[in-house]
Amino acid sequence: MGAYSKLFVLSALLLLLLPVPILLVNASGEDVASLALTEAEETLASTHEAVLEAEQAGANVSGLLDKLNLGAEYLAEAYVWYRLGVSENASRFAGLCYEVVGGVSSEAVELRDEAKRLGDADFVVNMIGSVVGVIVVLVFCSVAWLVFRRRYRRRVLGLRSEVVSGES
Amino acid sequence: MNLDEYRTLFLVVTLGLALVAAYPALAIVVPFTDDSEEFSEVWLLGPGHTAEDYPVNVSDGEMHNIFVCLGNHMGSSEYYMVYVKFGNITQLFLDSSKPSSLPPLYEFRVFVADEAFSESPVTFGFQNVYIEDNVLIVDNVTMNVPIEDAVLSVDDVIINGMVFPVDASTSWDSKKSGFYFRLSFELWRYDTMLKSFRFHDRVVGLQLNMTGS
Repeated sequence: MGAYSKLFVLSALLLLLLPVPILLVNASGEDVASLALTEAEETLASTHEAVLEAEQAGANVSGLLDKLNLGAEYLAEAYVWYRLGVSENASRFAGLCYEVVGGVSSEAVELRDEAKRLGDADFVVNMIGSVVGVIVVLVFCSVAWLVFRRRYRRRVLGLRSEVVSGES
Repeated sequence: MNLDEYRTLFLVVTLGLALVAAYPALAIVVPFTDDSEEFSEVWLLGPGHTAEDYPVNVSDGEMHNIFVCLGNHMGSSEYYMVYVKFGNITQLFLDSSKPSSLPPLYEFRVFVADEAFSESPVTFGFQNVYIEDNVLIVDNVTMNVPIEDAVLSVDDVIINGMVFPVDASTSWDSKKSGFYFRLSFELWRYDTMLKSFRFHDRVVGLQLNMTGS
């Protein structure tokens, strides 16, 4: 085999092998983007659930919703890029979403716990206040009734005695 | 009034005052049902933030501004997604009972607090709008296809600066005298039980009379 023939065979082999790494790189780029999207999506969803818990506990979550909205904006953009086949941008935006939303869950848990503590304190204050209030009302009304009844009887009896003395 | 009647009056007043005093505790212990209806809203506003001047006649290269608005009355904050889809009138019918099978071009994701609203600007336009095969060769004579038999195609949709290749075409609508397409906005809501988005039975859209370049 001459030098040119060897070169030709080698070139042909190289040309055959060339698409393989390109395909692998493309596949791995897509896989990375897909994984990043899944992670960002799951993080956003679980953070939303933590925020919902905080909200249900009575916490003010408007600040957390702002952060979630920023994350959601990034994630939407990531999905759009992914559908367009631009894996690099998809991964980048999914990463931004993950970064923005990353710490929100712990903030939500703190807010939820704080709201629960305040809620428990409110519960105790409301219960004690109500019990004391009812007792005060009952005592006050009982005393008022006793005073009223005594005055009423005195007045009615007094009127009767005057009438009796007038008749005799 | 005799003494018995006064006693009844005192009892009623005492009971009323006791109920008022016990209200804070009762409010916690007794579950008061909320009968208000839970629903979400989606609507479009024109370029002036009003329900007018919606884009209808659009041509190749022109850009148009609208706003997609969401309202949450679900009783808690919600995670919404809006899919933007484009197609001809037979591909995209604004049926709120099921989502269109067309793939989404663009999407918005937004968290909306309870009893709050959200507004997202949308700038859209179209590129490479043309009439397909607009000439006929009959007996070696070239002649223009009548408009009634022509087919208008759109190759690209631009939404918020991003270009989306599409494969959409439509024939002449003789009733409305135009080539009509639709740009639709489907509302999806994140279901925390299913842990995925579900179509939320709301679709709004624009009917666009397209003109080629």
